Amino acid sequence: MAIKNNNPDRILVGTSGYAYSEWVDAGFYPPGTGSARMLAHYARIFPVTEINYTWYQMPKAAAMDRMRRRAPEGFRFTAKLTRTLTHEVDPNGWPGQATLYREGIAPLVQSGQLMAVLVQLPPFFRRNPNNRRYLARLLDALGDLPLAVEFRHTSWATDRVFAGLQARRVALVCVDVPPLPDLFPPLAMVTNPDLFYVRFHGRNTKGWRSGNMQKQFDYDYSDEELARWSRTHIPEIARQAATGIIFFNNHVRGQAPKNARMLMGQLTEEG
Amino acid sequence: MTEDRSIIHINVADFAVAVERVLDRRLLGRPIIVAPEGAARAAVADMSEEAFQAGVRKHMPLSRALGRCRDARVLPPHPARYRQAMTRMLKSALPCSPLIEPGDGDGHLFVDVTGSSRLLGPPVDVAWRLYRRIRRDLGLAPIWSVATSKLIAKTATRLVKPLGEYIVEPGDEAAFLAPLPLFLVPGIERDDLTRLNDFNITRVFQAAAFTADQMRTLFGHRGAFIHERLHGIDPSPVHPANQPPPRVIEFREFGDDTNDRSHVEGTLYRLVERAGRQLRRQALAARRIGLVLEHTDGVRRIRQVRATPPTANDFSLFAHARRVLNLAWIRRVRLRRMTLVCDRLTYPPAQRLLFEPERRMAEKQDRLMAVMDRIRHRFGTDALVMGRTPAAVDELQKTEAG
Repeated sequence: MAIKNNNPDRILVGTSGYAYSEWVDAGFYPPGTGSARMLAHYARIFPVTEINYTWYQMPKAAAMDRMRRRAPEGFRFTAKLTRTLTHEVDPNGWPGQATLYREGIAPLVQSGQLMAVLVQLPPFFRRNPNNRRYLARLLDALGDLPLAVEFRHTSWATDRVFAGLQARRVALVCVDVPPLPDLFPPLAMVTNPDLFYVRFHGRNTKGWRSGNMQKQFDYDYSDEELARWSRTHIPEIARQAATGIIFFNNHVRGQAPKNARMLMGQLTEEG
Repeated sequence: MTEDRSIIHINVADFAVAVERVLDRRLLGRPIIVAPEGAARAAVADMSEEAFQAGVRKHMPLSRALGRCRDARVLPPHPARYRQAMTRMLKSALPCSPLIEPGDGDGHLFVDVTGSSRLLGPPVDVAWRLYRRIRRDLGLAPIWSVATSKLIAKTATRLVKPLGEYIVEPGDEAAFLAPLPLFLVPGIERDDLTRLNDFNITRVFQAAAFTADQMRTLFGHRGAFIHERLHGIDPSPVHPANQPPPRVIEFREFGDDTNDRSHVEGTLYRLVERAGRQLRRQALAARRIGLVLEHTDGVRRIRQVRATPPTANDFSLFAHARRVLNLAWIRRVRLRRMTLVCDRLTYPPAQRLLFEPERRMAEKQDRLMAVMDRIRHRFGTDALVMGRTPAAVDELQKTEAG
């Protein structure tokens, strides 16, 4: 469901990934739903999803094309940038990886279904001259794709970084995360007038650095926690960007689709 | 509908070379050939990517391999090292699942993580973490894949060799296989490829256009199996770690390497007798009989046939085993070791044979077997010896000498 809001044409709410077998147990998918049928069911409820597996492997154009055809017309995607360009970078080989990524993602670009490429940088990627240079070159190399950058280290939370993103029309990903030292803080910030991008990771302070995704993203947002976003932060950033996408990454036990629906309900009420 | 299976395949390319390189970093970046020492006609057991690019292939005579890759360093195989590396890989995978099926000292692991995502996270994340653990703990960089079956997962790692990863989404199996060359599909053997090549068919989508009946016409009883493979169907389970699939294995290492037919057949009968007794003791019958022949020069040939109906009777087992021997033994090089494998075990067929003469013969043989088992149980294995076995020949020689 796309939510009409005062200023932006559309705010799309979805989840980070959709093919979780545990969502069958959680009741989001009907009993017996196989992975191949999940996207069709998901698309009846949400208008957009974030493709996670492109972080693990370089997207392949044929597979990407088959996947997009399984979704209804008008359904949108964002795709994570592959780990060989964010977490496991080969200083000499990365330009080739960037080229492969662009080729792999091309079917979504050509069909007009790609809303953004998510450049999620690791916690160890701190702001220093080398990393700044690499990020600038990476954003240039992917320049013709719609980009959103998510930092995981607080050293990037400076006005100069935001200004740099603004100059490139690259969206800064606003995150909702646990209050932990060194972690990039939750900021309602728009650096691209075309797009704002929000990710709700959950606030599991204890599990965040456990090294286990099932603990890190195990969190169930309360109405009040989401209301702070739906009443204050989202209207504020929505006024500054034409379109917005909001994803819930707290996938454990089907909490992401549940919280996404709660937020959609609140945003609809807010008008 | 049940939950899609999530099978991870870990594949360390050129495993023997990879292990040797972990132990000796000076071997990195240069062509390496692993081949047995001291054999007159040694064959290549494994080689590095550099040697492969130079034209070296597995089982190629070493002399020819060195002709193609003159600067290659030749190393003798160290099976104990490779087994140790496999054990450590297995240990790395143990936290992921109880269902881990290692290959035969070849750097392959299948891990079934179906149904564990609530505990461990998405299968693809489990696979990536396992890859990282193996890289960190062993210094090996395996290829990894995630798919809904062993067949698709193994094909996927073959596709990205020597480095990389491949995730085949559930429901995408047939489309994934369709454009591939047939030789990449595990289970499609050389004879199958030749047969299909006769029809100018080299790609999966071409062969997959045949119906199951058409496949049966082309390949006989193998047709149904090939048809399933080409459509990405493989229900075979991943067997639990440290619990190999139920099968009976008997082997014999020849004291002196041999190519004496009667000696080899006699030894084979001895293996059949031992395997048959084990099967009958467990009240099971084998549906497949396989034979692994290892030649003096290190070349290994594996062949197998289906036993229809399943059997645990020595006479019938031997008929199948001899057929496999004829399929596998096509080289003149002497044999060093012979391994008989009876697998796909099942309960003996309850249905009696349809035709009277065959039925009477089978029942007679079964009664004979039962009597022989009782005698051997009471008086020892060698209390009864068949004339064709080496034990009988030895006994005869001793008697003649005396």
